[in-house]
Amino acid sequence: MILITGPLMAGKQKYICAALGLSSEEFARRAVWDVQELAAREQDLPALAEALSRREIIIATEVGGGLVPTDPAERAAREAAGRLSCLLAERADTVIRVCCGLPQVLKGKLPC
Amino acid sequence: MFTLVIGGAASGKSEYAESRVTGLPGRRIYLATMRPWDQECRNRIDRHRRLRLGKGFETLERYTDLAGAEIPAGANILLECMSNLTANELYDPEGGGQEAVLRGVDALLAQCGHLTVVTNEVFSSGAAYGEDTLRYLRALAAINRLLAVRADTVAEIICGLPNYLKGGPLP
Repeated sequence: MILITGPLMAGKQKYICAALGLSSEEFARRAVWDVQELAAREQDLPALAEALSRREIIIATEVGGGLVPTDPAERAAREAAGRLSCLLAERADTVIRVCCGLPQVLKGKLPC
Repeated sequence: MFTLVIGGAASGKSEYAESRVTGLPGRRIYLATMRPWDQECRNRIDRHRRLRLGKGFETLERYTDLAGAEIPAGANILLECMSNLTANELYDPEGGGQEAVLRGVDALLAQCGHLTVVTNEVFSSGAAYGEDTLRYLRALAAINRLLAVRADTVAEIICGLPNYLKGGPLP
């Protein structure tokens, strides 16, 4: 499994589609994205991570930066998203962070 | 040796910081800086205690005045975290401000073996905050920069994985 992370609108999907030569239909079939939004609604993050890890490509937007939100629900959602990303990174063969469309390998190696 | 670890919320920075310390021989001191204000703080502290369980850390609570902490000579220290300590030094009546933080870190560096400090990436949500919050952000940012100058290794943690901004993994 390849985990792609990075800031919002950093070009994560564009990067992986270009790197693997995927059409948007292939991408939709092989990938799951915006998983940070699933984390907030999930009680059992390891189970969610396990289920997501069966997909080939996972895209998670980084949401843990910046000052801690004053709203408890926002705070909890950010924490859950971060923990899910850590669980996914443990299970991933490759972890790539994309910033300004540019990939940086954090684990494994770049797909070619 | 001095390692500075920075990351956002739930980025895996604590686990990474612990792994930096547990690989070293000698005594391990966990310098805890978070005051247990409310249930959420207590839950957070409990979670961190569970993470450290069985890893051989002695916990020392220190909310201000790091320079006054009694540290066994040569012990390896994990300080968590700089964002709480900075808030305590800025806002507590007995706090000594930014200078007290830096003085404290220098005192630790003079006494300890390996020092690992966890700090927080709290700078990417803009600057639309009141002056009191901006004063805090400016202080923590200055502390982070000054610690990075002193550090041998600076690791930014992303989903539990290090991106080395300075130095690298321990040999």
